[in-house]
Amino acid sequence: MPAWSDFEPFIVSGLALGGVYALSGVGLVVLYRATGVLNLAFGAIGAMGALIAWSLIQAGVPGWISWLACVAFGGAVTLGYGIIFGPALAKRDPLVKAVATIGLTLILYGLMDLLWTTSGGEARSLTLPSDNGGFSVGQIQVNWTQVIALAAGVVLTVGTGLFLRYTKLGTAMRAMANDREITATLGVPVRRVEAAAWLGCGVLAGIAGVLLADLVALDATTLTFLVISSLAAVLIARLRSITITFVAAIVIGLLHDLLTPITSLTNYRDMTPFVLAAAALLVMPRSQVMAQSREEA
Amino acid sequence: MGADLGLRETPGRQAGRRRPGRPQLIRIATITVLLLFVLFGFPQLLSLYYIDTMTQVAVYSMVTLALGVLVGWVGLVSLGQVAVLAIGAWVAARLLFATTQPYPVVLLEAGLITMAAGVLIGLPALRLRGLYLALITLMFAGAITVVLATLNFPNGGHGFTGYNGSLVHIPPIRRPSVAGSDPAYFRYAVIVAILMFLLVLAHIKTKPGRAWAAIRQSEPAALAAGINTTLYKLWAFALASFITGVAGGVLAGAVHYLYSIGFPTQDSITLLAVTLMGGVYSMWGAVVAALLYQFLPALLNNWGVSADWLTILFGLGVLQVLTTAPAGLADQVPKDLARLGRLLSRRFRSPAPGKTT
Amino acid sequence: MIEVEGLTVRYGGVTSLDDMSLKFQEGTCGLIGPNGAGKTTFFNVLSGFVRPAAGTVRAYGVDLLSMAHFRRARWGVRRTFQTEQAIEELSVFDNVAMVHEHSKLGAATRRKDVLDAIDFTGLDADPDARIRTLTAGQRRLVEVARAVVGRPRLVLLDEPAAGLPDEETSHLGDVIRAIPEHTGALTILVDHDMSLVSACCTTTAVLDFGKLIASGPTAAVLRNDDVIRAYLGVA
Repeated sequence: MPAWSDFEPFIVSGLALGGVYALSGVGLVVLYRATGVLNLAFGAIGAMGALIAWSLIQAGVPGWISWLACVAFGGAVTLGYGIIFGPALAKRDPLVKAVATIGLTLILYGLMDLLWTTSGGEARSLTLPSDNGGFSVGQIQVNWTQVIALAAGVVLTVGTGLFLRYTKLGTAMRAMANDREITATLGVPVRRVEAAAWLGCGVLAGIAGVLLADLVALDATTLTFLVISSLAAVLIARLRSITITFVAAIVIGLLHDLLTPITSLTNYRDMTPFVLAAAALLVMPRSQVMAQSREEA
Repeated sequence: MGADLGLRETPGRQAGRRRPGRPQLIRIATITVLLLFVLFGFPQLLSLYYIDTMTQVAVYSMVTLALGVLVGWVGLVSLGQVAVLAIGAWVAARLLFATTQPYPVVLLEAGLITMAAGVLIGLPALRLRGLYLALITLMFAGAITVVLATLNFPNGGHGFTGYNGSLVHIPPIRRPSVAGSDPAYFRYAVIVAILMFLLVLAHIKTKPGRAWAAIRQSEPAALAAGINTTLYKLWAFALASFITGVAGGVLAGAVHYLYSIGFPTQDSITLLAVTLMGGVYSMWGAVVAALLYQFLPALLNNWGVSADWLTILFGLGVLQVLTTAPAGLADQVPKDLARLGRLLSRRFRSPAPGKTT
Repeated sequence: MIEVEGLTVRYGGVTSLDDMSLKFQEGTCGLIGPNGAGKTTFFNVLSGFVRPAAGTVRAYGVDLLSMAHFRRARWGVRRTFQTEQAIEELSVFDNVAMVHEHSKLGAATRRKDVLDAIDFTGLDADPDARIRTLTAGQRRLVEVARAVVGRPRLVLLDEPAAGLPDEETSHLGDVIRAIPEHTGALTILVDHDMSLVSACCTTTAVLDFGKLIASGPTAAVLRNDDVIRAYLGVA
């Protein structure tokens, strides 16, 4: 078993990773609660945004414009998908809606491999200027990117919670999570609220894409399927609570990185989300089988 | 009240006992002829490159069949079927290297062990919402790539994993003695596939098939009819895992060498996409899906076109199927062709009345 | 006899059933009330889809709530739903046989039992016909057949006549009235069609906002002031 000091750097990186997972998870949960869609393409969207940012940087575009382009791309693609395919699938089961986002994932994945092929080339990387600065906490080095990642996770979780509770738009989203049709009859502009949810989710996908590209790797496959870690957090939170999503995401990030120095387990650390999610399923109570149809009596 | 469907038999009422009518027999005859052509004609007509491709089609048609049963009949979505295939291939390879058991026995064992693994993974999620099963299978797909990267596939070494990293000359995975050559193995694969299709047919036409239809329509109604829905969902999952495990065994013999990079996470997603496109409600859909999955890429590869276009196509296909044609291509294409046929026949009929000079 | 004691159901801040206590006697009982009164919730409790916050249900001496939902059907609880549940791609025979094959009864009597049930409903269609070829009225009869096949003990009918024209409704009424005698099962009928309820049910209970506001012989209940007020609202 490694010494405590071997773990220390991984506490920081784990928290940073967890922070990004948290902001991704929050984006996923809010969209799900507002529209019933669990956006499995979240990772792919962020991945492509990050690659676009990379290409822009290679072409000489200033850093901050490139990252903004990534975020804008995330918002645009997600919003576009929501506007085009949302209505057609609105009345379907959440499972069907989630599978539909698989379609989007494949389209983006194919495009990414086509436009930024990985065969024969060297690995790409995305660095942020915040990588270069930092401070120390005792023996541990912390760079600003990691701080930003964790802070983003915290700020977004708290901010979203406040937004949902105290703003008109947020309350509308919560109402729609309960019942879309009844909310519509109350005069809430359902389509507009949904669009806001899609846009918000997309923007978060872009932000997550940039951060993960920096913290982990700029690789289409890796980034696309890192969404699995956020999905595990979302599953543990039963697709409901933002707070639990946050906590679960942090735990997943921490556990994943803390396994790095343990030689017997390090190769398996990418299984962390799966193991934790499976454990959560075992203790989950069986949901009530409500008889279908919006029955009155 | 009540429409006279003209199907009434003698007053003695033969209800419940169906004797195959003429259209049924014609269909069975056509399929038999088609299969005989595939078994004996293909090896003569196709180059080795395409024989290998068709062997892969046979293998993956079993996997798409399994997925079709889950998705189409029961309404369960698995986003990790390629991971299950990997387990089957792994078990088969291990047994083929470690023992001298005959091939069919190895296939059976691979199927059974994979079935146990599948049930273990799926069981906790089957009690809950379908979305959770989809998620956990997706995570499983990711987890298996990690395990495979570390454990690797058996390559003739000793120990539990059967992997020896320092082996210079890696022995190929053996084939059955009667089917050593590629064309012969192709026939072997097709026959195993036919057996799996018959196995599914046996389920669908009997009690489990009816129970699955009830569950797919409405779980509360199925429960109210006395169906133990968890049990039947488990049964479907077990069947799908068994068939996929057997397919993994056939895959092992087909490729001779298995690599962990051959079972990436995205393949599970692509497989679901093609299964949806092919059509989850019909057995032909499974074949169409396998053709999309293996034949098209082989074709494109031959022509030097990137397979990425197919990935994009499959993504669009998923969206199209889910928003418009839930029954998939196998249902849609015959309908479209029939409509085209009607259009054409109307065209070529004698001039319409009123068109006389 | 079915004894309901103190049944309470709460879901998301709404009390759908409020301390309901009632004894259902043999024969056909009606359960009526305005929309949202809790009638389908009550059925859902009996079917096992909803767990009550409090209360017990004893059916023929058995504690119904302690049984798993699919086991209740095997025990003899049968139910129709407001939305059609017959399985489209299967035949009439298969739909009814499915209930039989998942009950405790064996395969030996299956064909006879299924055909008997179909005959009982007076369904004028080939048993081998697929459901999707039938009319709405015929489908409802298939559902009734599913509810009465074999040996049901408690038959719950949830608005079986909804959307049907008059002659079909009256035929349905005849069938429902005959269920207790034909099968020995206790039948509870939920419907908004008062003529159907008064034609079929010897006793009727009335729910309003989850509370039981009246019960007794049907004719008297339908004339009850509280009941009329509940349906029409307080002026």
